[in-house]
Amino acid sequence: MKKILALASAGVLAMSLAACGGDDDDSGGAAGGVGEPWTLGTTDVVTALDPAAAYDLGSSTLHYAIYQTLLTIPAGENTPQGDAAESCEYKDPKTFVCTLRDGLKFSNGDELTSSDVKYSFDRNLKIADPNGASTLLASLKDIETPDDKTVQFNLSRPDTTFQFVLTHSSTSIVDEDVFPADEITADADVIGSGPYVMDDYEAGQQASLKKSETYQGANEGKSPLIFVKYYPESSNLKLAVQNDEVQVAWRSLSPTDITDLEGNDSVDVLKGEGSEIRYWTWQLGTPVGKDKAIRQAAAQLIDRDAISERAYEGTVDPLYSPVPPGFPGQVDSFKAKYGEPSVDKAKAILSKAGVKTPVDITLGYTPSHYGPNAVDEATELKSQLNDSGLFNATTKSAEWEQYQNLYKENAYDLFILGWFPDFLDADNYLSPFFVDGGFYANNYTNPEVNKLVASSQATDDSAAREKDFGKIQDIVAEDVPTIPSWVGKNTAVTQPGIEGVQETLDPAFIFRFWMVSYNG
Amino acid sequence: MAAQAGSLPRYIVQRLLLIIPMVWILLTLVFLLMRVAPGDPVSASVGGRLSEAALDERRASLGLDRPLIVQYFDYLGSILRLDFGKTITDNQPILDVVKENGGATLTLTVSAMIIALVVGIPLGLLAGRLRDTTSDAVIRIFGIITYAAPVFYTGLLVQILFLNVFPGWPLLGDSDTMTTYNVPSKTHILLLDAIIAGDSTAVVDVLKHLMLPAVTLALLICGIFIRLTRVNVLQTLQADYVEAARARGIKESKVVRAHAFRNALVPVVTIVGLQVALLMSGAVLTEKTFAWPGLGNRLIDYIEGRDYIAVQGIISLFAIVVVVVSLVIDIINAMIDPRVRY
Repeated sequence: MKKILALASAGVLAMSLAACGGDDDDSGGAAGGVGEPWTLGTTDVVTALDPAAAYDLGSSTLHYAIYQTLLTIPAGENTPQGDAAESCEYKDPKTFVCTLRDGLKFSNGDELTSSDVKYSFDRNLKIADPNGASTLLASLKDIETPDDKTVQFNLSRPDTTFQFVLTHSSTSIVDEDVFPADEITADADVIGSGPYVMDDYEAGQQASLKKSETYQGANEGKSPLIFVKYYPESSNLKLAVQNDEVQVAWRSLSPTDITDLEGNDSVDVLKGEGSEIRYWTWQLGTPVGKDKAIRQAAAQLIDRDAISERAYEGTVDPLYSPVPPGFPGQVDSFKAKYGEPSVDKAKAILSKAGVKTPVDITLGYTPSHYGPNAVDEATELKSQLNDSGLFNATTKSAEWEQYQNLYKENAYDLFILGWFPDFLDADNYLSPFFVDGGFYANNYTNPEVNKLVASSQATDDSAAREKDFGKIQDIVAEDVPTIPSWVGKNTAVTQPGIEGVQETLDPAFIFRFWMVSYNG
Repeated sequence: MAAQAGSLPRYIVQRLLLIIPMVWILLTLVFLLMRVAPGDPVSASVGGRLSEAALDERRASLGLDRPLIVQYFDYLGSILRLDFGKTITDNQPILDVVKENGGATLTLTVSAMIIALVVGIPLGLLAGRLRDTTSDAVIRIFGIITYAAPVFYTGLLVQILFLNVFPGWPLLGDSDTMTTYNVPSKTHILLLDAIIAGDSTAVVDVLKHLMLPAVTLALLICGIFIRLTRVNVLQTLQADYVEAARARGIKESKVVRAHAFRNALVPVVTIVGLQVALLMSGAVLTEKTFAWPGLGNRLIDYIEGRDYIAVQGIISLFAIVVVVVSLVIDIINAMIDPRVRY
């Protein structure tokens, strides 16, 4: 017992000493770069540092810093431009050719050639990791490398979205002498040719990015050393930025947290355009969902401004199309067709179709996948429908795992889902949703939509594609297989002394570490 | 010489053999519970993005489409080979997860236990000695509140208090980013690594980070120690040998210190070992609240991701720790009190 007490006393003493300790940290860091090391805090989870094994934003955020893709989306833009590639072009809608920059090197000194590019794509498809995004390369037939600098992608079908796929982090270029052809590389062993090198990585805890000395390209890093710290909860993240434990907090802060932090003078809340959307999906397998007039009446009633204000404290923007604003070809088709929310117009639609009111309708939502405000949104929509006197709406919820089965099994007439784009093209908001029932299997089919999607994918004529996109959105507003609800903003909270964050907050949702510096 | 019935070696062998069915039942329960829960790793990660056919393809590549019984024996076989496999959600070898994060959990739980003992036992002794006084009432209320308060709630209150009263005091994680970056990882116990590295700044930083979560977790179990110690003190103070000591004219302070307190602590030592299970479960919530990079924190992530392999691996480890500690306690008890062996 004496020993236990002695140990305990030593522990308490150590705690007391700790309490008196100073904060004078050593500032270890990498050579080159300007400003001081800084820390990005996030709640994102990283699946893998190997680009062949990840299809999530947490992993992509690191991939963009440590690897290069052939094409990239510059900050504030939505047209792909060269990253590892000096130039790329379609020879025809089934052939895409890229020429690499001069002097590309991996951080271990190995040269990056067309052979590495081909190897990276072939490897991705061969491994086809369950956590990976090899499905994005569905249209890729094979790759030719006529010389060290030229890569020719031969596609199995006309696919002009392929250029956008090449901006996705899963198509990052890896060193064929380091990454095995048929298995995933351990996190500790990955290297790339990007603006930063992964210096140290502890899964679920912290990543350390050191500025690369071999990087060739337009995204040269500013800071010599950057840390990424991972938090399990958004409440942790809020606390961390309030307490200056991180200099930047990015993503997953709740609307309440954001509103609260906006009133805090010691931090800045920065907002940029976003691309994450929420939408209500009709299950056409139910008698209610099958009735177009009912779908149109609900679309006529929904008050998106009220949803934004009451459910999300104004931190999201109303969405009037399946495609968020800012994408070439986007049109506010629901606004054009339905205008302002109107009970009278909704009543007229139902009356004309001979639908008896009030219509019993079941709204589905999940409290465990889209954040705590999903219940507020469902409750708000229910109120709007019921207040019209035209509907008798009830809400039902299920955990995400069950929810995915229930909405396919016709448990709900109308259910909420979210989407985050794979790449910045309107097609990514249309083809996964409206071709033959979409990935959510809601039984909606329109041959005209299928034709227009195929047609837009088969041409690289921007004007023709945008025209097709516009037509699809108009048809969707008429048929109402889904009702767009809102588009989120790209929000970050920063400490004073951080520069460059506002510029990277755009719909691409790429956190461009290389643009940010800190002088605290 | 063959071990006789009731002998200590025989008892130890029996207890060791009992571990096998205990661990097997536990592994089976974990396996079944994970499968009974709705969903799977594929739908948890990319459900809501891919078609059902694409999801099925991914499930098949992970072997999740095989009959449950096949998966079960496959799982048991790999455990017998000590092959815990790789996590599904982030591709980490289970043993690496345990190695990387176990040190943080160990640091937290050991610190919490020490603080709980240092605070709980003296307060329990004091309350027993000062029975039915105001001090006794205050200590008892303190013990009940700390035991009853949810650990995450206590943690949040502590964080808010320090954020406002001591701004800048570290509230989350086990160290500053520069400490994690600068201290070479040798033992995977950051505090030890910092001491080995001779980095006093890092040691201070780690201890500062440790204080709030350790105190929060300690409060949970110190209530138990307070109540138990108090009851034992009350019992021993009425025991015959204490009365006899008093009758011999020994001073009351010495009677209490040398006879009552010492004997009152014997059952407490046994209970300390039994608190390991509570400590481990409390650590899971404490780690989440304080973003402490331990096994409990990772476990919750893996449960949310329906990562069967990871959850099975970590829970098995937790269970083995509890089983081994129970075994040690039983053996100590048997050594102290021969009646336990029969």
